[in-house]
Amino acid sequence: MTQPVLSVRDLTITFRTREGPAKVVDRMSYDLGPGETLAIVGESGSGKSVSSLALMQLLPTPPAVVEGEAIFEGRNLLALDDPEIRKVRGNKIAMIFQDPMTSLNPVRTIGHQLIEPIELHLGLKGRAARKRAIELLDLVGIPSAADRIDDYPHQFSGGMRQRVVIAMGISCEPDVLIADEATTALDVTTQAKIIDEIKDLQERLGMSLIWITHDLGVVAGIADRVVVLYSGQIMEEAGVDELFRDRRNPYTRGLLASLPVPGRTGRRLDAIPGLPPDPLRPPRGCPFSPRCPHAVDLCVRQEPALREPVPGHRSKCHFDPEDLYE
Amino acid sequence: MTDLVQESEPIAPVAHRSRFRTTAETVLRNRLAVAGLAILALLVVVALAAPAIAPYTINEVDVANRLQGPSAQHWFGTDELGRDVFSRVIIASRVSLQVGFISVGIALGVGVPIGLFAGYYGGRIDSVLMRLMDILFSIPAIVLAIAILAALGPDIVNAMIAIGVVYTPIFARITRGSVLTLRDAVFVRAARSIGASDGRIIGNHILPNVIAPIIVQTSLSLAFAILAEAALSFLGLGVQPPNPAWGRMLSEGRGFFQQAPWMAIFPGLAIFVTVFAFNAFGDGLRDALDPQQRSVIESRGKA
Repeated sequence: MTQPVLSVRDLTITFRTREGPAKVVDRMSYDLGPGETLAIVGESGSGKSVSSLALMQLLPTPPAVVEGEAIFEGRNLLALDDPEIRKVRGNKIAMIFQDPMTSLNPVRTIGHQLIEPIELHLGLKGRAARKRAIELLDLVGIPSAADRIDDYPHQFSGGMRQRVVIAMGISCEPDVLIADEATTALDVTTQAKIIDEIKDLQERLGMSLIWITHDLGVVAGIADRVVVLYSGQIMEEAGVDELFRDRRNPYTRGLLASLPVPGRTGRRLDAIPGLPPDPLRPPRGCPFSPRCPHAVDLCVRQEPALREPVPGHRSKCHFDPEDLYE
Repeated sequence: MTDLVQESEPIAPVAHRSRFRTTAETVLRNRLAVAGLAILALLVVVALAAPAIAPYTINEVDVANRLQGPSAQHWFGTDELGRDVFSRVIIASRVSLQVGFISVGIALGVGVPIGLFAGYYGGRIDSVLMRLMDILFSIPAIVLAIAILAALGPDIVNAMIAIGVVYTPIFARITRGSVLTLRDAVFVRAARSIGASDGRIIGNHILPNVIAPIIVQTSLSLAFAILAEAALSFLGLGVQPPNPAWGRMLSEGRGFFQQAPWMAIFPGLAIFVTVFAFNAFGDGLRDALDPQQRSVIESRGKA
């Protein structure tokens, strides 16, 4: 692989709580290549949002304690001081949040909010900044952008708002765009359209994309590579086709088995029994062992390593799938 | 049938109306608020033009015509030294409004930043600032103002400072309360994620969202400040003689209430009308700025 744009090493996030430390992300490591789309999937609470917020130093510390490294342009993002990280935020790495209804300031016009990152990072002012903002609205497919730039967020529909948020995200042509459940709050048709548009923009601007979602359908449509997160740990990582063809980890298998298959009716979905572990009281061995159908003594006693039995395909399990499944 | 007609009606495009205009329109639909606003406008004009309007100067002593009832020469009568009560009431409006605006300005200027910082940063800053505000708030307003004036000396400027200090905690609390609900809002996090500094987030994203309750509190506080000034002047701690103040005139008129009730009635009426006007306008403003209230008013207007 070519030089990665972003290299995360042993990212560990612990929240100090009254009942003791809660480790919500545990030694997470991954590389993001230029122009690549990396999907981070997991159940709610698996640490996928927290891990991306930490990259931008957007977690309140305390109570969060962030350890590890995230190397971007030769520097560790996690160690940058406030003025330095602010130059990265929005400019080099931008973020799109889940809820388009609340991620825009209700009392400021769309234009005002869109111009903000342009003024902050591109040094454009007044007319030039406004012109750029209109171009961006055009780019994300808002009709008659020049007329709508002075509207307030409540005058836009949810899908339109998310387009505005995306316009804000790409306004400074970042190297990395982090989309945190960016389409989850939208209906399926709008979702498909927005995903298409983001992919299109990604190609045009040459961005790398980190796509955080729990929706495996979306993953199949957009990702190049997938990281499966469970209880703050990477359980499996592989190229998207590889993963859907040959899932090595029992957790990933369980996750995929719990999806409805079109045309296959009259069968209950195979939900994974039980609940994810409490981060305050993590299991001693494999984090998935309490719910794993294949768990043996070893799994409870000893934590498996994140092995790479096939090049480019990592799985955190003591066993190879050949041993587990017929 | 009617259902069908309604369904086929095209959805009206959302008009391009600014928040200021919608608010103004809602306020203007409230008759009481409009009355309050009209009285306030009149008061401001009278106060500004007082020296020109007043038929006499404030200290024109005319002992021969002392304690005269209202007449064509003296609309509000004369006091125990034969001074024209109307002229004095008019001139005193200047000081009342001035005290109101300046002292509320002080409370606003100190209280709002305290509330913003305490609410935004939270933690220890919040605890220290808000406990300080609680201490101020726990002392009855007029007692605190008297204590401050006792320390600084009776003087109109000191009275403004005292009243300003007394109302600071109210603004700090209102601001902090609103900021707390916004601090973790997604759009604040989004602003941070595009690289906005704390100062920019507070000024550009938080303040515009908390301004509505602050505006309402300002208009209501003006009424209280004018009342407080009247009370302090009544006690001889505000405006010093021979300058007129409504509270002072009320206090002086007290001794002559049997012979010359107009000496107390007219300044009292002036206080009442001013306070009423600020309250009526403030209430209207609150209704207009509260979106839930607003839709009630709007639907009432259409019905």
